[in-house]
Amino acid sequence: MADQPLLRLTDINRHYGAIQALKGASFEIRHGEIMGLVGENGAGKSTMVKIIGGFDTGFTGEYFYDGEIRQFSGPTAAEQSGIAIAQQELSLIPTMSVAENIFLAGDGVPQVASKGYLARKAKPFLEEVGLGHINPLRATNRLSVGEQHLVEVARLIAHNPQVLILDEPTAALGETDSIRILDMVGRLKERGKSVIYVSHRMDEIFKICDRITVLRDGESQEARAAKDMDVNSLVELMLGFELGDMYPERKTIKRTEPVLKVRDLWPDGILEPINFDIYTGEILGLAGQLGSGTSEILGAMAGSTKSRGGSLHFQGKEFLPSRPKDAIRRGIAYCSEDRKYDGLFLGRPIMENMSAPALEKISKNGILNGARERALATENAVKFTVDPKRLPQEAGVLSGGNQQKVALGKWLSIAPKVILVNEPTRGVDVGARAEIYQILRELADHGAAIVVASTDIQEITNLPDRIISFYRGVQIGELALEDMTSANILEMITDPFHEAGIAVSEKES
Amino acid sequence: MTDVTAPTDDLKFVQRIRRDYSPLVIAMVGLFVVIFVAGAVFTDDFLTWFNIKTIIRDAALVGIMAIGLTFVTLSGNFFLLSMKEIAALSIICFATLMGADWNQWGAGEGDPTTSALVMTFSVAFLATMIIATIAGAAQGALIGLGGNPIVVTLGAAGLFFGIGSWWSDNLVVSYRRPHGAEWLGTGSFIGDIPNITVAFIIIAVVAELTLRYTTFGRQVYLVGANRAAGRATGHENFGMAIKCCIIASVCAAFVAVAFSGQVSSAHVNYFSSEFGSSGDMTIMVIAIVMVGGNSIMGGYGSTLRTSLGAIFISTVDNMMVLNGFNSGARVLAVGLMIVFSIIVFALVRRGSRAVE
Repeated sequence: MADQPLLRLTDINRHYGAIQALKGASFEIRHGEIMGLVGENGAGKSTMVKIIGGFDTGFTGEYFYDGEIRQFSGPTAAEQSGIAIAQQELSLIPTMSVAENIFLAGDGVPQVASKGYLARKAKPFLEEVGLGHINPLRATNRLSVGEQHLVEVARLIAHNPQVLILDEPTAALGETDSIRILDMVGRLKERGKSVIYVSHRMDEIFKICDRITVLRDGESQEARAAKDMDVNSLVELMLGFELGDMYPERKTIKRTEPVLKVRDLWPDGILEPINFDIYTGEILGLAGQLGSGTSEILGAMAGSTKSRGGSLHFQGKEFLPSRPKDAIRRGIAYCSEDRKYDGLFLGRPIMENMSAPALEKISKNGILNGARERALATENAVKFTVDPKRLPQEAGVLSGGNQQKVALGKWLSIAPKVILVNEPTRGVDVGARAEIYQILRELADHGAAIVVASTDIQEITNLPDRIISFYRGVQIGELALEDMTSANILEMITDPFHEAGIAVSEKES
Repeated sequence: MTDVTAPTDDLKFVQRIRRDYSPLVIAMVGLFVVIFVAGAVFTDDFLTWFNIKTIIRDAALVGIMAIGLTFVTLSGNFFLLSMKEIAALSIICFATLMGADWNQWGAGEGDPTTSALVMTFSVAFLATMIIATIAGAAQGALIGLGGNPIVVTLGAAGLFFGIGSWWSDNLVVSYRRPHGAEWLGTGSFIGDIPNITVAFIIIAVVAELTLRYTTFGRQVYLVGANRAAGRATGHENFGMAIKCCIIASVCAAFVAVAFSGQVSSAHVNYFSSEFGSSGDMTIMVIAIVMVGGNSIMGGYGSTLRTSLGAIFISTVDNMMVLNGFNSGARVLAVGLMIVFSIIVFALVRRGSRAVE
């Protein structure tokens, strides 16, 4: 009995349009086991989690649970069978008390129950997750984010699940709250529960997991015991070798005359002035870890980050944009890494988002031309496969992937010659990622010059035609297409000077 | 991949209302309608032509100021807390110039001719507008450079009031009738509809069209909805703040001129003590913007809402007057309406995804 897995998925396939998120992937977990599920962004982790939790029913393959083959109709069905999933986004009601949130589903408690009764019932579950010191009658929004995550888990535990899925529970948490989560996972294991632990944090994975399943590009590796692996071998498994079809094919580029020359640009946060050239038709990658300065460089080129000096040579003119308007007017578009901060007008219709940079184009003598605006927005929405019927909706209702497509797609309205993109696919699902890559490549093929900064090692390996790498505010070097392997890039962005103590494994993706 | 939102087209009116507005807002509008209907039924003389004219005329002065202020609020620059002080400075400026010896045109003896009156009025009016523009631009520039709107406009309020008070020696400045400003204060060209009412309607329509169909209007919304994204797409708040503050200031000055035309005089305290049901013009104007349901954070709302807010407050006020409530009770009612609408719209915003 002990050898038979509690949950086993075999040969799972899942398509999103043309994109295959999972390709014959398998997954299993035994009774009382903590299984780590790791993989790069877009490897299929969230798809796998959604399938296990019953959120995604459009897959093919065998779902075996608790001794029989199952086909859940939805998350509620899965939950009733004992599979609970704690998602990254909180689903608590902030104004209700902790106890009320725990019994939100209404089962296990009478229809009419006093607050005191609920509080008494909630107490043991709170203790279970290490929140015994919290008054169950407190409003949930008075708790810290970490505590709220724990309350969410407590609510799931109240249903007494057999399998608990934690999807990056510590992504938004500080150190102390993370430790609470890890402690709680340990206690669950002692009580014979199975936990699927999805995380990017290597140290946590090795601290608590019994076995680890690696997903790479939609394919799964055989689950291995955590003690047989170290961080290096795990990273190797995650990165793998070549990545498949997600990344569009690269054409040979004739580099004759640079379209944009960056000369002695010295943005704040960079140690010394930098120089590089950008050519028409290429995607240039700026590789570097968080804090390496690539964001500042793009920001300075677009006029949204301050710089100490330097200039851009573009279309026969030498200038340094002091505000984004200067760059936009010359046809340089910049899409920042934080679309919610300065990429989107969430409360305004998608149409207004799409036309925001090009108001001059859609107006005459200061009067907006509604027809021209609709035509322009529709054209660009179609290019980015955003349904034009949704143009009147608020941008805030879109999913992360579609929001990113709008944030990027709005720049097509100015027909930019140079497009600067920072983290083109942060927080974007695998399907939209592929679409965004495809569109960037098409734009480059049609004569735009594109600069992409990314901390995602797969993206930076497979998308650009050329890479310039940065390390702690210093320009390290340039890699041509033939030298662009993950290993080379990793070395250049994590340990270019071969200093002691900086291992490849400490890469944060 | 795909979102779980229904497609937008082909919805019935009721469904569209339910999609676009939260239940709280619908409930509030419903409550207002109920109050209105109940008041109309139980108040004698309420639905008469004369009374409706009175309501809209009362709404006109505060309404014009509130429409100007709406631009500031929509562009995400909060409020000008100096509205009544701008008006106070403007009214002193206008009245002083109206009565100034050098500004009396035409022959010295007998009644002045129409053209002489027009000249006198035009000079005073233009000078007042220029001063208001400067006052607005200065505040807007400070706000646009990153100054906190509350601090900047509170400081400016003291400054403007001080200048007005000093200039007029804190006395009433009066000027002789006929003086060329009666047409705006009390006159009517179209039947018995007061000109100030016509001005209110024209300004409301022009403001709404501006917001909807001009580049400037779109920029107001975009910068108000997300200042950082506005900057990133080439719409800086600096220029926006200046333009919007100028609009608000000019509207305040226009109201000051119209009011002075009514009473043929001016005093710095006209807008602090002797005006409207709550006495304080700034509070009344902010109340109207709020009751209209414009977002305090900017990016959402319209001057149409503001105009309706002005008429609504004026209606309730009028109803209470007809039913014999004293001014204290009327101030209380206005206060309740502000609190109520602030709470409702704050709750709505907390629940909305737009302000994550």
